[in-house]
Parts: sequence; structure tokens; C-alpha cells
Amino acid sequence: MTNFLKTLIPQDIAKGLYLTGQHFMRVFRTANRRKVPLHVVSEYPEVPAKVQPRFRGRLTLLKDEQGEIKCVCCLACEKICPTQVITIESGKKEGRKTKIPLRYDFEMERCIFCEFCVESCGFDSIILNHQFELAAYNREDFSIGMLGTSQNMFELTPVGRYSYSDSDKD
Amino acid sequence: MQTMTLSQTCVMAILQAIAVVIFIFIVVPLTTFAERKVLGYLQDRLGATRIAGSRNGLTGFLNRGMWKMGKVPFLSIVRGLPMFIGDIIKLLVKEDIIPDKADRAIFIIAPALSMVASVVVFAAISFYPGALFTFPRCVPVIGGLPFTGFITNMNVGLLFILGIASVGVYGIVLGAWSSNSKFPLLGGLRSAAQIVSYEVPLTLSLMVPVVLSGSLNFNEMTRMVATQMPIWAVPLLFVGFFVYFTCGFAETNRMPFDMPEAENELVAGFHTEYSGMKFGFFYLAEYINMIVVAALASAFFLGGPFLLPFGLQSFVPATWPLIGGPNVIWFLLKIFFLLFTFIWVRGTIPRYRYDQIMAIAWKYLIPFTLVDVALAAVVRFTMA
Repeated sequence: MTNFLKTLIPQDIAKGLYLTGQHFMRVFRTANRRKVPLHVVSEYPEVPAKVQPRFRGRLTLLKDEQGEIKCVCCLACEKICPTQVITIESGKKEGRKTKIPLRYDFEMERCIFCEFCVESCGFDSIILNHQFELAAYNREDFSIGMLGTSQNMFELTPVGRYSYSDSDKD
Repeated sequence: MQTMTLSQTCVMAILQAIAVVIFIFIVVPLTTFAERKVLGYLQDRLGATRIAGSRNGLTGFLNRGMWKMGKVPFLSIVRGLPMFIGDIIKLLVKEDIIPDKADRAIFIIAPALSMVASVVVFAAISFYPGALFTFPRCVPVIGGLPFTGFITNMNVGLLFILGIASVGVYGIVLGAWSSNSKFPLLGGLRSAAQIVSYEVPLTLSLMVPVVLSGSLNFNEMTRMVATQMPIWAVPLLFVGFFVYFTCGFAETNRMPFDMPEAENELVAGFHTEYSGMKFGFFYLAEYINMIVVAALASAFFLGGPFLLPFGLQSFVPATWPLIGGPNVIWFLLKIFFLLFTFIWVRGTIPRYRYDQIMAIAWKYLIPFTLVDVALAAVVRFTMA
């Protein structure tokens, strides 16, 4: 008898409809709020995408509080790099005990973003930042160094020029 | 109601037909848009939020503009609304291909057949049992005449609707057969079998309000079922509604029962070989059929233009303002809610296997509705 009633009354369908209805109402109420998005997708080009903390983006040289380059030219990153995209030319500077890089060239077009260079660095002087919009129209734009203004090792890659994103303005 | 001359009748009928077509062509694109949006929300996505395009130019401007507007809470719900215009433009602009080996004449007629069959049904559907408004005296031919909420008030309205609606499957089967390709043929065969099976419980479940009201006239049935039912009729109408709505899903080839258009195994089913606006006609016909099923369900089971469903309106005095009498807004709201339910169910229930579909129709729904109709007859006997 109970089996017969179970067949007649489609309570599993009702349960499913209740569940999806709950999800519908939740997203319906919060879809327009940027603070509490309960939906799992992002509106990427218009809203800056969030990446995971361990995301491996473009290689960046760090400076310390005094504005000095932290790199001491131990060449560990250059040696460990599997695709040999890093070239360092070391030099001396007045009032500094360690060596200082005169050139730090990074060929991004061959980089495989393996983060070996960051792991090998004993001075925490390089990181992979969270940038992923790295497309460019010219091959020269992938040769990144310490000199030059548009793309260099210290600053973020200019995004608005090459991508659809508004994130540089937001 | 004063008698009308022939020219007045013609002009009035044409105006009402135009009004219905406008209603359809507003609601159908909105339903396709809602389908994207609601399905998205059901699955924790956002649905359509933009139309494809470049950063610059019109589409880019629209996308950005809609996004900027989206920061206002209400407007973010309608962001992506340009998409339904894009849908129509895409269908109109696409190349229309007729396969070499296709049966040309039937191939062309089939989409028109299913489209016409689904639109003509609106001739018998009544949105409001009376005049929506009266034309002022200054209008040339039809001055002073009422603009009724129905096109015709025929005595066998329900019979007409059922007859015309089942012609729609002709379009599907003929289109499938004339494509001269195996996937459409299989889809057409499945469609024929499915609709033959589901016509029976569908019609039987509509017999419940027919028996209870003792009429086939659309307006009369709606009024009787909504307002003059004893309390015993309420559970019968409740059951009848669910059976009818289930069969409606099968009739319109919607998601749990989309055997004819099985995207998993039959490419696209009966419209595999169709493209351009011919495919658009099939697409439109499916959505218009959804509106028809929703309209019939809300008229015969959910009380139509009266507020309360399942005959519960009988317990509300007719003198109460707004909820006592009929109002076209309730009818439209019920249609929209049922359209939403179509999408809701699509996002919830997975597809049935083919034998399961047949089993539901023959083993469960038909005996169920037979019992329902018998009980309705008993209730009718006590009413008389």
C-alpha cells in the first residue's frame, strides 16, 4: 500500500523542485550584488576575475622598503629555469654590500610558469604575481626587463591595452 | 451585446487576431530569454548577461551599457535582454538549406503546419469573459463596440482546441519524414508514438472540468469550474491539473519528455535538417504550444481569470472587489507562472527513458485519470 502511494504521489519530484527552487531564489536575490555572489560563475570581462592565492602569473622583481632591488644576483633562478628565459647581468653599486642586477631579462614567450625560479630564490626577491591577461600584439612586448616603461619587471603588465577587461579602471 | 454587421465582425476579428499575434510575439521571445536566465539561476549560474560582440561598436556599447545599468538592482535581472532580439535576427539571417534528397514540398510545408496549428488554437482561448474595453464612438467602423477578451465564443471550444492542437504533430512527423535522413525519421517516429500515447490522458484529464461544468464552451467552463464547484470537486481538479500538466510537457516535447528532439542520441531529432527560419518556425511552435498548454491549464484548473485555483473561488463572494470577479491580470499571471514552471521542471528532472515514458502514460496516467473522471461524474451527480 505504501509502495502504491509512493508511486502515485511523486514526492521525489517535489523534493527536486524544492531544491532547485531554493537555488533559484538564492541566486535571484543576490545576482545583482557584487558583495555576496552566490552564483559560481563570474562575469569576467566586466568584473575583475578572482584568482586563487597560489596562482602563478607573470614573474616580478621585488623591491624592499627603501626602494632597493632585493635581488643579489646569485643566479639560482637563471640556473634552475627549465626553459632558460632569465638572463641576469650583475654589477656593483656604491654603498651596497651585495651585487645588484644591471640587467634582468625575462623572455615571457617561452616561460612555462613553473615557479621554480621563485622556489629557488633564497632572498624572496622574485614572485609570480596574479596577472593572467598577458597577451600582446608584438613579440617585443614579451621581452621584459628592468628598463623601459610599458612593461618592466617591477610593474604589472598594462592590461587595458590588450584585453577586454575594465579591471584597470575599476 | 448588440448585433454587429458583417464588416464590423470582420474588422473586430482581425483586430483581435492581431492583438493575439502581438501577445504571442512578445511572450515567446521573453520566454526564450527567461529560459536562459531561469535555467542559469537554477544551476547557480547567471544565464545570459550580454550579447556577443567586440569591445567597440554597437554590441560592445550595449554590453557595457547594460552592465553599467546592472549596478541598479532591478536592471541587473534584465541584463542580457538584447539577446532575444539577437536570437530573432540570427534565425532570420541564417542560410536556409534544403537537402537535395528531401521531399521539397512537404519539407517546406511542415514547419508552417506545426506553427499554424499552434497559433490557430488561440481562436478559441478566452482571456477574459467579457469586454476588455469599448472603442469610443469616434472610431470609424467599430465605434462603440466592445473589444472582447476572446476571438470567438464557440460552443465546442474545447473540442476545437483539442482537434487543432493534435494537428501540430503532423508538422513534426511530416518534417521528420521529408528530411530523408535517419535521425529526423527516428525523432518523428518517437514523436508520433509519444503523442498518440499522451493524447489519451491529456484529453481524459480535460474531461474532469468538462464533466464538472457540463459544457464545452470555454467561457462557460472557466466560470463554472472556478465559481460553482462543491468542496468535493477540489481534490479532483487538483489531480486533474497535475495529470494535464504532465501530459502538456509530453505534448510540447519539453525536457523530461523530449524524445522527438533527443539531443543526446538523435543529433537534434526531427529538425536536424532544418535551418534558418524554417527551424525558427518549429522553435516558435514549441513555445507557442507551451503558452497554449499553460493557458488551458490555468483556465480549466487554476480558475482562469478568477483568482483562486481548483474551484476554491466558489467560497469567495462575487461582490468582493478585485478578487471577487474575473480579471485578465490573474489569467496572465497564471500563464506566466506555468511557463516558469516549464523551465523549472526542465532544470530539475532528468530525461526519462523511452520505455519509462510509455509506462508513465499507459500504466499510471490513463488509469489514474479514468478514476478521476469517474469520481468527477459522481460529484456532478451530487451537484444536479
